[in-house]
Amino acid sequence: MNERDEALRELVKRAAAGPADRRLKRDLWPELLRRIERPPVRASWWDFALAAALLLCLLLFPETIPALLYQL
Amino acid sequence: MTGASEAELEQFTRGDIRAFESLFREYQGEVYGWIVRVVRDPGAAEDLTLETFWRIYRARARFDPRRPFAPWSRRIATNLALEYLSRGRGEKPLEDDALQQGTPCSVADPAVSADLRGKVLAAVGELPAKLRAAARLAIIEETPYAEIADALGISINGVKSRVFRAVRLLRRGLEKRGVCP
Repeated sequence: MNERDEALRELVKRAAAGPADRRLKRDLWPELLRRIERPPVRASWWDFALAAALLLCLLLFPETIPALLYQL
Repeated sequence: MTGASEAELEQFTRGDIRAFESLFREYQGEVYGWIVRVVRDPGAAEDLTLETFWRIYRARARFDPRRPFAPWSRRIATNLALEYLSRGRGEKPLEDDALQQGTPCSVADPAVSADLRGKVLAAVGELPAKLRAAARLAIIEETPYAEIADALGISINGVKSRVFRAVRLLRRGLEKRGVCP
């Protein structure tokens, strides 16, 4: 490492010094626990039925695919 | 910090929420402290700490309780911090009109002015995420290379190489802004 690199490192260190407070100011456990206890999103039988119906429509009427893609 | 016992880690891998809470309470400060060193934003670091432990909890079955918990958690935290940086977060670069294009290079004053500080942070913010993380940890935080290498999952030479490239890019970024350190 040459002197110029050393000067640049020193400048960056001085410029960036300060704002990063490394102490956690609040307890994050309650938030994490809520996330853990949140029930996972599950698809109902109705979602599967709709998906199957859509697939069937696309198989029976493939000409609708471009129109559908255009709307997306 | 005493470190988690193997029994506690084994309970954690089996999904024991109390063991996980105990681990969380023991390591949350350390994980947060590490993340804030990389992203330098306390609010983002809190979110990333939560995400880190959420991922740790979901990956518990893959964890070997005979291995230490801290390096594993730090690796996950580092990956998340890098993802955050690569999404373009961190110091905001100065607007184009703030750049003094064509201004002759001035030698940096050791007493860093607000203007100079802004230019340096903008240049740091322009670095690619991996180089930015290495630069922050090595140059700003003066973290030992071995520790950085462990957290980033690369060799010490790999860290040196990233810091070297970061310094080169920083110099270029500062020169573009009329600063010649």
